[in-house]
Amino acid sequence: MFWKRQIPIMIVGFVGVLTLFGWFFDHEGMQGFVNDDATQWYDILASFAIFLGALNLLKLQAQKIIRKKRGWQYSIFAIGGFVFAFTAGFLMRGAYFVDIKSPGTDTTAVAETVAEELHQDRASAEVLLGLITDDAPYRLGRVYFTQQGAEKVATELNKQGAVAVTEAESWGSHIMMRGSLFNWMFRFIFTPLSATMFALLAFFVASASYRAFRIRNFEATLLLVSGIIIMLGRVPIGSKISSWFVLYIVVLFLGVGVNTWLKNKTATMITVVGGLLLVTIVGWAMGWPVDRPAMFFLPILQDWIYYNPNVAGARAIMIGIGLGIFATSIRYILGIEKSYIGE
Amino acid sequence: MNSNKFWLISGGVVLFIFLYWLFGHPYFIMERKVMFFAILIAAGTIIYYIEKAKRGEEIFLRTIPGLKAVEEAVGRSTEMGKPVLYIPGIMDMDQVETVAGVIMLGYVARMTARYETSLNVPVSRSIVMKAGREAVRESYYLEGRPDMFHEDIVHYLTDDQFAYAAGVNGIMLREKPAACFYQGKFYAESLILAETGNSIGAIQIAGTASPAQIPFFVTACDYTLIGEEFFAASAYLSQKPELIGGVKGMDMMKVLIVATTLLSVLLRLFYDLGWISFNIIDALTIQ
Repeated sequence: MFWKRQIPIMIVGFVGVLTLFGWFFDHEGMQGFVNDDATQWYDILASFAIFLGALNLLKLQAQKIIRKKRGWQYSIFAIGGFVFAFTAGFLMRGAYFVDIKSPGTDTTAVAETVAEELHQDRASAEVLLGLITDDAPYRLGRVYFTQQGAEKVATELNKQGAVAVTEAESWGSHIMMRGSLFNWMFRFIFTPLSATMFALLAFFVASASYRAFRIRNFEATLLLVSGIIIMLGRVPIGSKISSWFVLYIVVLFLGVGVNTWLKNKTATMITVVGGLLLVTIVGWAMGWPVDRPAMFFLPILQDWIYYNPNVAGARAIMIGIGLGIFATSIRYILGIEKSYIGE
Repeated sequence: MNSNKFWLISGGVVLFIFLYWLFGHPYFIMERKVMFFAILIAAGTIIYYIEKAKRGEEIFLRTIPGLKAVEEAVGRSTEMGKPVLYIPGIMDMDQVETVAGVIMLGYVARMTARYETSLNVPVSRSIVMKAGREAVRESYYLEGRPDMFHEDIVHYLTDDQFAYAAGVNGIMLREKPAACFYQGKFYAESLILAETGNSIGAIQIAGTASPAQIPFFVTACDYTLIGEEFFAASAYLSQKPELIGGVKGMDMMKVLIVATTLLSVLLRLFYDLGWISFNIIDALTIQ
């Protein structure tokens, strides 16, 4: 019990206190632990843990295929993708080159082959071959996934009189090397798939906005109005909408309010007509331009909503979050919260 | 710890800091002194209320609808014979939100064990998988249902954000869980998950401390634990006095922060009017 209960609590408490005080004390050892050692330990731990995750993934997907569970076909892609990525990352370099050390005496045939490999015209290839010197061989601007592919081209060039050899990208850097098998998989399979999922967000935002903006109560109406002001105020058309127009809409809303409150058609009529006349006469007399009065100009109004009520609400939430994180951390450091060891 | 003991230890800590300060406070980064003392005060307040709660003082905890609905959601799944899906966020155990999410997973797992409902926890980090398994295992043992526990309840999908979202969406559409829990740290995938959950008609309870994701969860989920409510979840669900005391301590800190803010505004006003020469903003700004 001591090893399973007290020891983990003591480790958590000790490391927690050390990390907390590392922020306040400029001591080399403490800073080294907080900034480097602790994070590196975590990284090492996480690197080993990934094997557990990968094995678990493979096990579950394989079980799904064997037991023919619902959607088992997708598991084939999951395992296939895993095997492919693993092979391209760890077992195959997937990045081989052809270095031409000398174009030989008759460059016409060599230029033809180079042009074909690079999808260029022969004249450009000849220019490239002309740049080759003893000190600076020309590396063919194409990456081959297999050594055989590169060797085939090198052999053909050698047959045509050139001196060409194959080179391989070093292990590790082949992951980032543009054109390598792993990089190709990343750029042409993984990135588009991720982008597709991300793009779905636009549709989900639309459906979620529809639900949020449906007028059901006062809060939803407030959200709808604020949303419209923010949206319009942030696009070019927002600056073309005159403050007059916004004021007219305010008057109409005022009319709705009066009608709801008094339920009197005459009062509503007076409010709406009187309001519209008042805005028109005052605006005309004072010669309001598009952006006057400024508080009804959409770009300024949206700025105010964004930087005042919005920030106030967000900060209130942030203070709560900060305190919550702090209280949780303190509970851990002091050993009050022990649910992580099953208590 | 009784009241006298608490004050004795607090006095000892204050005396120690006083002596440390007297001897020239070696290694201390002076620009961070405000934060240091703020942390000491906050820690002291939280511990004080924890001790108060431990001594048996009754502490009122307001009803949080989202937490009240947890049992209802699990019950609904039981009635419908469908699984419960629990997502502990997409980040690793170095994030407090993930830790809070795993703690809450333990409580949800106790309910699923009690009601004999199947639980599915896809995770995006291997360490979270291990921690989640331990939490679920303990819960099933505590409920006396070790037979129901199997390690694959908590399973790994992928580390990548959108691949994980795609995987979880697939699970949702195939298994049609009756209840979905999103408790942890989320980014852009939050709405993708919550909207898919909404489309299958699941009862959804979200909890996060990621401010940018709160509006998405509020829109798409039935209940959302916002910020501090999320961190108070373990106290609410466990009803342990020491945890409830911590929540009370948190609330008292909020009162203290509001008071400090108002006082600072007043002092700053006096400074601007030239009545005092001391600028509170300079003192409070943490370097």
